[in-house]
Amino acid sequence: MTTVPVHGATVSARAHATRSEARRLVRRRLVDRVWWSLCAAALLGIVVPVAWVLAGVVGKGVSGWRWSVLTTATQGTGGGLANAVAGTLVIVAGTLVIAGSVGVAGGVYLAEVCREGRGGLLRGASEVLAGVPSIVLGYVGYIALVVHFHWGFSLLSALLVLSAMVVPYIVKTTEVALRNVPTAYRDGSEALGMPRTYALRRVVLRPAVPGIVTGLILAMAIAIGETAPLLYTANWSNGYPSTHLLHAPVAYLTYPIWTFYNQPQASAHRLSAEAALLLVALVVVLIGLSRLVVARTQRHTEGHRGAR
Amino acid sequence: MVQLLGNDTTGLAGAAPAAPAAPEPSVAGPAFAARGLTLSYGGTAVLADIDLDVPAGAVTALVGPTGCGKTTFLRSLNRMNDRVPGFRLSGSLELFGEDLYDGTSDPLVVRRRVGMLFQRPNPFPLSIRENVVAGVKAHRLARRSELSAIAEARLRQVGLWEAVSDRLGSSPFRLSGGQQQLLCLARALAVSPAVLLLDEPTSSLDPVSTAAVEAMLTSLVPDITVVIVTHNLAQARRIADHTAFFHQGRLAEHGPTARLFDDPSEEATRHSLSGHFG
Ligand SMILES: Nc1ncnc2c1ncn2[C@@H]1O[C@H](COP(=O)(O)OP(=O)(O)O)[C@@H](O)[C@H]1O
Ligand SMILES: [Mg+2]
Repeated sequence: MTTVPVHGATVSARAHATRSEARRLVRRRLVDRVWWSLCAAALLGIVVPVAWVLAGVVGKGVSGWRWSVLTTATQGTGGGLANAVAGTLVIVAGTLVIAGSVGVAGGVYLAEVCREGRGGLLRGASEVLAGVPSIVLGYVGYIALVVHFHWGFSLLSALLVLSAMVVPYIVKTTEVALRNVPTAYRDGSEALGMPRTYALRRVVLRPAVPGIVTGLILAMAIAIGETAPLLYTANWSNGYPSTHLLHAPVAYLTYPIWTFYNQPQASAHRLSAEAALLLVALVVVLIGLSRLVVARTQRHTEGHRGAR
Repeated sequence: MVQLLGNDTTGLAGAAPAAPAAPEPSVAGPAFAARGLTLSYGGTAVLADIDLDVPAGAVTALVGPTGCGKTTFLRSLNRMNDRVPGFRLSGSLELFGEDLYDGTSDPLVVRRRVGMLFQRPNPFPLSIRENVVAGVKAHRLARRSELSAIAEARLRQVGLWEAVSDRLGSSPFRLSGGQQQLLCLARALAVSPAVLLLDEPTSSLDPVSTAAVEAMLTSLVPDITVVIVTHNLAQARRIADHTAFFHQGRLAEHGPTARLFDDPSEEATRHSLSGHFG
């Protein structure tokens, strides 16, 4: 008789335990679902604007697309965009060379060469430079290079201003990428008696390449998309870029997008839409190329195990 | 004319230097001789007043509680502490009779003669073949055409050839931990070192891989002097000819492994070697 209440108590305790466990499970599922919904919302927050922009740009550009845009130069507010495509490619390539070498060298210096705690001046200067609005840089470039040095509107002044603008990003991404390389690689190469610069080139730099390339793409994308500093330094030209670094204005794709859009002629609007399409296509190609570079250098790294 | 020719050959030797040093002098002396050696970080001594001869051509184990300075001592033997901020060394440390810290030795040359293996296998982000010959290329010890043969020979020596011969061009990170450690061993052996330093090389490996690495190590002596840090006393007993026991910032005791384990003269040694430490 005495066992019954005990038995009953046990049962009810067990039932209680099961019930609270079930409640916990329900709550966990709920938290899980809320969490995933937030992630999905964030993803949508990125994908929707991108899709919207792409649809708008591609839709406007593709309807009535003329291949002659790629072969003829601009005439007034009509003609094609071949001069602007060529100009943008030259400007991006030039910026990549100047800002790329200065920025990667600066990043390597900060991460590898200067002793711990030093390099504050370079790092600080770089951060200040990153904070200067592009239009201010453009104006300073105009006063100093175009006017004071008598370079006129020119490729070189455009390259220097754009390079000054994107160098901080390259310095930062290079430094961070190198600092993230596992110390085990450095220890291993040091223990083999490799000179430091040799180890850097052959062992340590390789895993940092994706980070460095990402910085370079970012820099190129910024250089492609800038308008303000180019208005001050490259101005605009109906002609193709020449071999003259000075005293020759240069065409570029962001100019017609903005300027022609505000013109009354239909031909100007057409060019504006086509320039936007070409700009987006250029960026997509650049990103594709950089993916290839990254994949090639990462064949043997730890993160890359077989198919990816 | 003769003078000129002489100069010329020197120039060539400079371009392809360090012909693998002839096997270390087989003089009876020790591989390492530490005298009054004190190692410190930021003014705090980790190990003080160490007098120790590490016999050449034998396996020497360094044992002691965690944090007693085994790694610090080991890394001083190939000057890996040189660039560690705050590190200071006093006393003297000789490698085959040459002072390592009197300013006359080149750390890069020292590290070619004194190889090192780490606790966690650390293959480079290069192909398996390039991993083996990385040091050979850095020191220009061989011609390009010889590299493949060197890679094969070293992989065979460590017993890895069968497993990797069909994927020399692929990533080392798909190998097992034990295989990666053997690959690092092949990489270290490829530059023909006189001494090999190992810092708990099997602590992240399974028993089968551990046995493979241990077998490799004992096969290296007497051509190569082996110094191994281990917290596994059974391992020290299995493979070490000599054992040095560090305790509380001192070298408590050292000698032939069997004597140290069976008949320790110090109380601290007796206490620690009979039980376990950290
Ligand atoms: N780079 C360093 N800077 C300062 N102290 C260090 C450094 N490396 C090790 N130490 C200290 O030196 C002591 C010995 O460390 P270590 O040689 O790694 O011991 P073990 O290998 O025997 O476990 C420890 O107290 C550790 O905290
Ligand atoms: Mg240690």
